[in-house]
Amino acid sequence: MSGAPGGRRPAFPGLPGELVLEEAAGARQRCREGDGSVPGTLLCTNRRVAFLPAQAPGSRAFLHSDYDVALPCIRKLVAASSFTKPKVLTAASTLKFIPEELAVFCRDFRLLRFHFQENGLALQAFRVANAIAQAREAAAWLGDTGEGHDGWCCPAEAPLEDEDEEEGSAATLLFESLRDWEKELKRLGAVGWRVSAVNERFDMAPSLPQYLWVPSGLLDHDLKRTFAHFEERRVPRLCWHHPGGGDLLRAASFHAASEPGSEDVRCLEALLLGGRGPCVLADTAELPTLADIQVAHLKLRALCLPGAAAEEKWLSALEGTRWLDHVRTCLRKAVEVASLLAGRRCSVLLQEPSDRDLNCLLASLVQLLGDPHTRTLPGFQSLVQREWVAAGHPFPHRLGLLRRDSPREEAPVFLLFLDCTWQLVRQFPAAFGFTEAYLLALHDSSFAPYFSTFLFSCQRQQGRGSPHRPRSQTYTPVNGWRDPQPGAPQVGRTGSPACRLPTVWDWGLRYSRHQRARFRNPAGAAGTVGPPNAADPQTPSRPTDAWPGPGAGNVFVLTKGMLSPQPFPWRSGRPPQRLSRWAPSLESLGEWGGSPGGNRPPAPPPGLLLPCAAGPSVRLWQRCYLRGLPEAQHGRFAPSPAGLAEELTLLQDRLSAWQPAGSCTEAAGSALTPSR
Amino acid sequence: EIHIKEPIEKEVYPRLLPGELLLCEASTVYKYIQEDGSNRGTYGKLVCTNFKIAFLDDNSASDDNEPQFENKIVGENDITLQCVDQIYGVYDEKKKLLTGQLRKYPEKLIIYCKDLRVFHFCLRYTKEEEVKRIVSGIVHHSQTPKLLKRLFLFSYASAAPNNTDGRNQTVMFETLEDWRGELERTKGNAKYKAVTTNEGYRVSNKLPLYFVVPICVSEESILKYEGRGIPIWCWSCHNGAALLKMSAFPKEQDDSSSQMQKAFLDGIYKTISKPPYELLKTDDLSSSLPSLQDIQTAYTKFKQLFLIDNSTDFWATDVKWFSLLESTNWLEIIRRVLKKAIEVVECLERQHTNVLLIEESATDLCCVISSLVQVMMDSYSRTKSGFQSLIQKEWVIGGHGFLDRCNHLHRSDKEEAPVFLLLLNCVWQLVQQYPPAFEFTETYLTVLSDSLYVPIFSTFFFNSQHQKDTNTSGESLNTQSSPFRFLTVWDWSVQFDPKAQAFLNNPLYADKSKPDKSHRKTARFKHQRQLSLPLTQTKSSTKRGFFREETDHLIKNILGKRIGKFINSSDEPPNSFREFYDSWHSKPVDYHGLLLPCIDGPEIKVWAQRYLRWIPEAQLHGGGTIATAANILDLMEEVQSLQVKMDEEHSQAISGDLHSVPVLRNSARLSSLFPFALLQRQSIKPALPTSTWKDLEDEDDLVNRDDEFVDLSGDIL
Repeated sequence: MSGAPGGRRPAFPGLPGELVLEEAAGARQRCREGDGSVPGTLLCTNRRVAFLPAQAPGSRAFLHSDYDVALPCIRKLVAASSFTKPKVLTAASTLKFIPEELAVFCRDFRLLRFHFQENGLALQAFRVANAIAQAREAAAWLGDTGEGHDGWCCPAEAPLEDEDEEEGSAATLLFESLRDWEKELKRLGAVGWRVSAVNERFDMAPSLPQYLWVPSGLLDHDLKRTFAHFEERRVPRLCWHHPGGGDLLRAASFHAASEPGSEDVRCLEALLLGGRGPCVLADTAELPTLADIQVAHLKLRALCLPGAAAEEKWLSALEGTRWLDHVRTCLRKAVEVASLLAGRRCSVLLQEPSDRDLNCLLASLVQLLGDPHTRTLPGFQSLVQREWVAAGHPFPHRLGLLRRDSPREEAPVFLLFLDCTWQLVRQFPAAFGFTEAYLLALHDSSFAPYFSTFLFSCQRQQGRGSPHRPRSQTYTPVNGWRDPQPGAPQVGRTGSPACRLPTVWDWGLRYSRHQRARFRNPAGAAGTVGPPNAADPQTPSRPTDAWPGPGAGNVFVLTKGMLSPQPFPWRSGRPPQRLSRWAPSLESLGEWGGSPGGNRPPAPPPGLLLPCAAGPSVRLWQRCYLRGLPEAQHGRFAPSPAGLAEELTLLQDRLSAWQPAGSCTEAAGSALTPSR
Repeated sequence: EIHIKEPIEKEVYPRLLPGELLLCEASTVYKYIQEDGSNRGTYGKLVCTNFKIAFLDDNSASDDNEPQFENKIVGENDITLQCVDQIYGVYDEKKKLLTGQLRKYPEKLIIYCKDLRVFHFCLRYTKEEEVKRIVSGIVHHSQTPKLLKRLFLFSYASAAPNNTDGRNQTVMFETLEDWRGELERTKGNAKYKAVTTNEGYRVSNKLPLYFVVPICVSEESILKYEGRGIPIWCWSCHNGAALLKMSAFPKEQDDSSSQMQKAFLDGIYKTISKPPYELLKTDDLSSSLPSLQDIQTAYTKFKQLFLIDNSTDFWATDVKWFSLLESTNWLEIIRRVLKKAIEVVECLERQHTNVLLIEESATDLCCVISSLVQVMMDSYSRTKSGFQSLIQKEWVIGGHGFLDRCNHLHRSDKEEAPVFLLLLNCVWQLVQQYPPAFEFTETYLTVLSDSLYVPIFSTFFFNSQHQKDTNTSGESLNTQSSPFRFLTVWDWSVQFDPKAQAFLNNPLYADKSKPDKSHRKTARFKHQRQLSLPLTQTKSSTKRGFFREETDHLIKNILGKRIGKFINSSDEPPNSFREFYDSWHSKPVDYHGLLLPCIDGPEIKVWAQRYLRWIPEAQLHGGGTIATAANILDLMEEVQSLQVKMDEEHSQAISGDLHSVPVLRNSARLSSLFPFALLQRQSIKPALPTSTWKDLEDEDDLVNRDDEFVDLSGDIL
């Protein structure tokens, strides 16, 4: 408890290239919960603002989620003193008084407050406050260029206490190697699809991943003809295969100027229809635009500051942000697509002009609704990895981590996705293998530029953006560092075997074992790994040949929950086809076999989640957005089922120790623990 | 346009309670399952008795899917006469409110219930004679003024004498001993005494037979103004400060009598402000809280959001959900009431002053505030029996006019105000904010609110103890002279079998090992030890007091305020309320100590279980809190059974019951509205609104049309 100035602080385990610019010992951090404040040392480095508590609980980890703010994550810095008005600090405006308290408003909705006791801290407090303001500016510029990222390199430290391999990160597919794509395709049981390496050198479509899932019947040679007809050359490819036969595809919109010749048309239609049944085009017109999302998020952030709205006007202010509206729209659209896939054998093509934003969101949401595997922790991580990271979501631009970008590019689509996921977790707590705490950690981590996951706009850039420093330097096992990707397949066929930053999925770097224990929902259906119930009687597969051949008559557009026939643009010259019988039958999706007047409730299709997107059911993610409010900071996490599950294991162990030859303990053990 | 399934003529008979008489009936009534334009429904018989309106389903007998949570008295399709809120008739697509005499009979009947169910009955296929009889019968029996003695309560009590000995843990406060016991429990007996002055209701009909006043108050002064102007004790806090209530004098025209009243009050204040009594703070609730009229208006608007005719309505309001909610002002009233309660708590707990609540009759908002204060401060009130005793003390015996406020007799709409519901709504906020602190669940509160309208219990069907007493003994309906023995609502076995009652108890209640009311004792709960549940930050509850001698306390507060002010940018002077509230919330929660609700904007929520339970659109399959609860219950059961095993220590008896896996809790099969709604049809409707489908051509059309379409209809199932 030696918070006195000059008292020894625990050693600061800096990152490579990290310099401590200024420090103030004897500062105190106001706690989020509990009494008073924690004494310790406030540090400003060229990477982050860090706080080292005197009784260092976090001294073992390089990064500490509770006490650290990466510089780019700081949104506003405010200094206060008893003698003057509080002042917002920027690099340009220098501090003219001795601050007694420093408030750091973070982009991840956190609010950290440090205060300095009067005795002799004046100078240090002053210097550290100014240093943070300066460093923040510098760091933002540093992050801009692709090459600048090496500065953020962070050791993938082997968590000292962690002897057991973390299941989550090990089982997460990064989709950087051919093997991952093949493995996942096999899991989905998508017969009729193959992995194509046509984009292995990123020469077909620079923003697409190296490997694509395409119909087996389509040769790479033919596939190549299709690239030109899509914006950014982002061709349709498989995202997910429903065990009942439905396919989910995603693509950019058709290139406006392209006029495919007859050979190209053949290839395009083979890719889109492939004799698989009707194709439904679901565009993102009903979804919020990037600008909408950004505006809503800004308004939400403003609302979540203390005192932003009077209590009695809070709800309408919340409605006014439209953030929840956007959440609802996305959920609703995802439900439409998911129920189409579950009910019919068809393929749904998600089409967004760029295929890099809302398509990521929609594709992942649909899979969360339809595929129980994606609701496990590794499954979810693989999903994010495939539909966002590999698919080329421009994270740095959308999260606003780059300073020089025009602000218009900022749009927290990924955060919107996390919010949607949170709604699902809240509505179906038993269906998920992970918890709200996990989503919160992911939310916060998206602003911490220590990880490769959110630093690059696409796989190609990630390969390029890796630092040009000698391998040996990063891999030298100093201080417990080690190879960042133990056992991860490094298929560096592109010639750039990146010495890599760790991925965000290495949770051990930022979160203690105790915190990580809260990520898992032991009551969740985490056990059901593998393809979603393929023997589902409600989704019979129909022989492919029952379909008429590829033709314009089998193409529909999904708008406002309604299907209407619409030919592909290259066939638009022809008269529109008649409405197929197929469309009205979509309506009966709403009735899952419920006989009129029958009292017996129909069983919902197994594995399919149908969230309610109605006003009363979609809530504000309070634990995330209201963390800045002092009165909301006593995070009342519900009694964690994880605690109970642990108790259960403990009791079982004790019991089996008690009865060495007890036969029944084994039976008990298998019957009890829901997961693991 | 309605697909008429040929009604099966099968005689079905209503299940009648003792004393229940069939008044009228109509057959071939078509009840819509869900008014969404789909016209799905069932045929059956609509009956009206002196207890309820019931719809008898033709195939109700064949229902093999027995609900888990069934009310033994009021079935799924039963509406007690007191539960009927409003009745509308539909004439040529136009809705008209039905009251009193009718000249024309509607083709459709819509019944809105006080528990927020909505029933649609189509009478088009019913014989005209029967329509006349049933409609006028229903309207007459449920909507027109009634005599107290015509309440079903009396017929039931005379036909089915209550033979239970009423041995219940709930303290009824009908005897002097009960009051003395309460005084002793709260250690208020040094300064307060239970008086018998009102025996024979000599003082007032409105006061209970026994009540508690400060020792220094004389019998004469109690008698002087019929108990008005007398501070009546509600509860004593652990530090000796007490919560009192007083019914105010009505506004007097006469100057001299108002002078006398003022002198009388001054005298009373003087005596009870002297030591040993603490300083006195008075709070006139009629000026510091919304009026009953405001409360009634807000609730009427609020409930309209949930009384939904069809899903189109639902989706129409959905867009503006939050602003509509806000405009009802109901949540704001809840917030203000909670805030007032916290203010009172602050006076009692921190300032050690007595608080005297003043209201015209001291039986409405006084009851709300005093009950809330006790729920927040006294962990006993957060147990089931404690809460029930509290309701008995403050409301039933305390003289809340349930009969008038619920308008059970349809005497006067002006008296109606959902004061008790307001309390339940406030308590619900606490329950959902701190579930482990309560022995009961939100389901308990919901069924309690439903029980307001079940007239077989006396609890909520009298205005005062006096009214109950005079009507119990006096001239009974039949010639028997024995007094009525009414049931009390606290006997939950009347409504629910043990399996259903399990839903009323909170499995995660952080039980205390010893009944010990002191806040300062280290909270070491039984469950805490047993389960080592991370019941969130319960560790350091020793420093629970409010006068912590922390060195940096002052600095912290000053600075905190300063930056807080900057952030808030409001000039509001920091009051002691805010300080108290903030300081409490900055500390870990002790589930057995003081409990203050969060009252900030986002924290006051809609009691979804009560208000949304009948709306299929708001239903989730296998989702909602019930899914977690089911899992936790499973785990708890396992842990408990293992603990039993451990205790037994040796393995003889271990065979069977370890595998007694819970029967009902496959959460994937439950709806979020469990235990109330039966699983409704899968509702993907929100995603694919039906209205848009109407734009599409009819399916039949298509069949006759073309060659080219693909028949896939067989594919759907």
